[in-house]
Amino acid sequence: MNKTKLQELSKLLNATVVAKVLTGAEWEKAGGEKHPEAGDSIQTDSGCLMLARVGGSELHCVEVGAAMSPLERRLLSWAIRQGSMRPVSAASDLERQSRRFGEWIQQSVAAGEWRAEVPDRMELRNRLFEGMVPFLLSCEQVEDKEPAYGELEKTIRTYIPEDTLLIPLREHEWLVLTSDSVLSEADADGDEEIGHEETKELLASLAQGLHELITSEWGGECHIAVGEPIVPSENVVRIVATLRETIFLGRKFHVGMQIHLPWLVHLERLLSGIPETVRSRFVEEMMGRPDLFTDSETVATLDAFFSMDCNVSETAKKLFIHRNTLLYRLDKIKNEAGLDVRSFNDAVLVRILLLLYKVTKRK
Amino acid sequence: MAGVRLESVYKKYPGSDKASVTDFNLDIQDKEFLVLVGPSGCGKSTTLRMIAGLEEISEGKLYIGDRVVNDVAPKDRDIAMVFQSYALYPHMNVYQNMAFGLKLRKFRKDEIDRRVREAARTLEIEHLLDRKPKALSGGQRQRVALGRAIVREPQVFLMDEPLSNLDAKLRTQMRANISKLMKRLETTCIYVTHDQTEAMTMGDRIVVMKDGFIQQAATPDVLYNHPVNLFVAGFIGAPAMNFITGQLVEEGGSVRFRATGFNVEVTEGKAKVLRAKGYIGREIILGIRPEDLHEEPVFIEASPNTVVNATIEVAENLGHEQYLYLNGLGKENVIARVDGRSGLRENQNIKLAIDMNKVHIFDKDSELNVFES
Repeated sequence: MNKTKLQELSKLLNATVVAKVLTGAEWEKAGGEKHPEAGDSIQTDSGCLMLARVGGSELHCVEVGAAMSPLERRLLSWAIRQGSMRPVSAASDLERQSRRFGEWIQQSVAAGEWRAEVPDRMELRNRLFEGMVPFLLSCEQVEDKEPAYGELEKTIRTYIPEDTLLIPLREHEWLVLTSDSVLSEADADGDEEIGHEETKELLASLAQGLHELITSEWGGECHIAVGEPIVPSENVVRIVATLRETIFLGRKFHVGMQIHLPWLVHLERLLSGIPETVRSRFVEEMMGRPDLFTDSETVATLDAFFSMDCNVSETAKKLFIHRNTLLYRLDKIKNEAGLDVRSFNDAVLVRILLLLYKVTKRK
Repeated sequence: MAGVRLESVYKKYPGSDKASVTDFNLDIQDKEFLVLVGPSGCGKSTTLRMIAGLEEISEGKLYIGDRVVNDVAPKDRDIAMVFQSYALYPHMNVYQNMAFGLKLRKFRKDEIDRRVREAARTLEIEHLLDRKPKALSGGQRQRVALGRAIVREPQVFLMDEPLSNLDAKLRTQMRANISKLMKRLETTCIYVTHDQTEAMTMGDRIVVMKDGFIQQAATPDVLYNHPVNLFVAGFIGAPAMNFITGQLVEEGGSVRFRATGFNVEVTEGKAKVLRAKGYIGREIILGIRPEDLHEEPVFIEASPNTVVNATIEVAENLGHEQYLYLNGLGKENVIARVDGRSGLRENQNIKLAIDMNKVHIFDKDSELNVFES
């Protein structure tokens, strides 16, 4: 339920109405039944908790902060149930199948079952035995501009006409699986075998194109992670977990980037796992000036320098500054931090320090 | 066709104390080629993205034509965008790339074909229609990106640094091509660049931005000759305007500017304004463009009260002109632009006459141009 609808409901009931996400265990602890359905409700001390939607292992509820009469509760429950029903049509069959599959993936990821094989009961199973390229979309449009499943599916199919599946996962999150034949189509040379590095470049380009398509249609913020081809029947749970982690690391360490590639975040993954006490001690011991990275120009300069493989000329071009200006900035960093990023070993340390600083800042 | 109007537009990101764009007011006329220019982080791309619908507007109103479009999705704003990265779809050939937006909007096949071929002809890429992006050069890809925008026949084109990925020679060529194309299409275009040369050569009007604020919005000619503040004066023009801090003194009925190496007479017209505004006896910043320092004997003879002496530290010979980096004037190098045939060399002592009609004077505290405020 989006913010507008919550506000409307709040006005109607003359009470606070907030959205809440609970697990099944939390629902039962609050007094609810096992395996609840949309429209079920629990009386609380302050008012009422009603289930709006089941999303895999998550129960999306609305909490009304005032006592409701039995009639009000029944009417709200009826309205929620009406909203959760979908018209029967061929398009919605696919959507229902995709949503069921998405719920299974969600539950498997939550349970840590990375190697779970797609069960027979999933109608889409037969389409998952060939190589497919996985994209994870995490898109947050402004409320009323969010695309409906059908609209988004049609748009993506126009972009990649090959066998493509759109699987809703969490709110604002979708998994797109498309046949890996799209890679050979993208290869201009028409080679039968595409090299590993070339594959990664093509995947990044496809993700970039998809990102541009979605944002130019609907605006908002959209993060996309893309993985190397998989056989989904065996690997879909693992890849969803990997791509989710990739987006998480990308958003944490590289604010402003919206395309995230798992093969570019190995160091970030490692650093993210280091306990905070160890991180802080490392930063204190290494940094001559603790406020070195508070200057945005210094951070932007270092980010560009590392992204250009420590090439001074290319970095200056990227930053639209004169080469000498860049050298002046690097000398300034050397004087303040005691580390010269033009030396390999110092560059490694500064890169790690910069990443750790970003983790600390975004706590 | 439509103009674009921004009324008191702000952009604030959550968690940030400062707005990225502050109180942005601008009326862009139909068919105008408007350039947003400024250093990195000034808010020009953010402003463009708000017009595109890719960023939410925190406050204020945006009109395209007569319509308020704050809450309209990008696809419904009738705009076409060309970005620096211009992500061409790698699995589609050039024809398919250009046709894609129209296909998505369910245009008829014959109409798609007509528009794509016409745009390809305009951009001279008809011979590339069967190729995949990977087989194209940088300049060709950029033209395909333009083609994707042109076929939409939008009310407004939005371009964000589309030439930044090209080498210098190609950039100069494409600049001219884009200018010609936009004039031919007679469509409003809003163009973002950090390059002041690009801005000056392409824009009907230029908006100079800094730290999220509009510094000045004017034609290239007005920006160059009547900058309202120190930032605009220093940003526009290459080589940049020279700035010398010094004092204005009254001497024998005339006003003189005094600084290291300078003791020159201010013109009577400017002196009147300076007296009226109470600048005599105060420190100010004098701005003088490199081309307004003259080494020719005829200038030196004609204006003896504006002559300065300097030593050439570096002489850069560009063929048709020379840039002289001078010592002895002010605290930093002053740059003069002289004829390439002058034959001047490093370590030479020279006399230069300053064209005092062309100097600008800036208030040291507010940095505003005294004669434009």
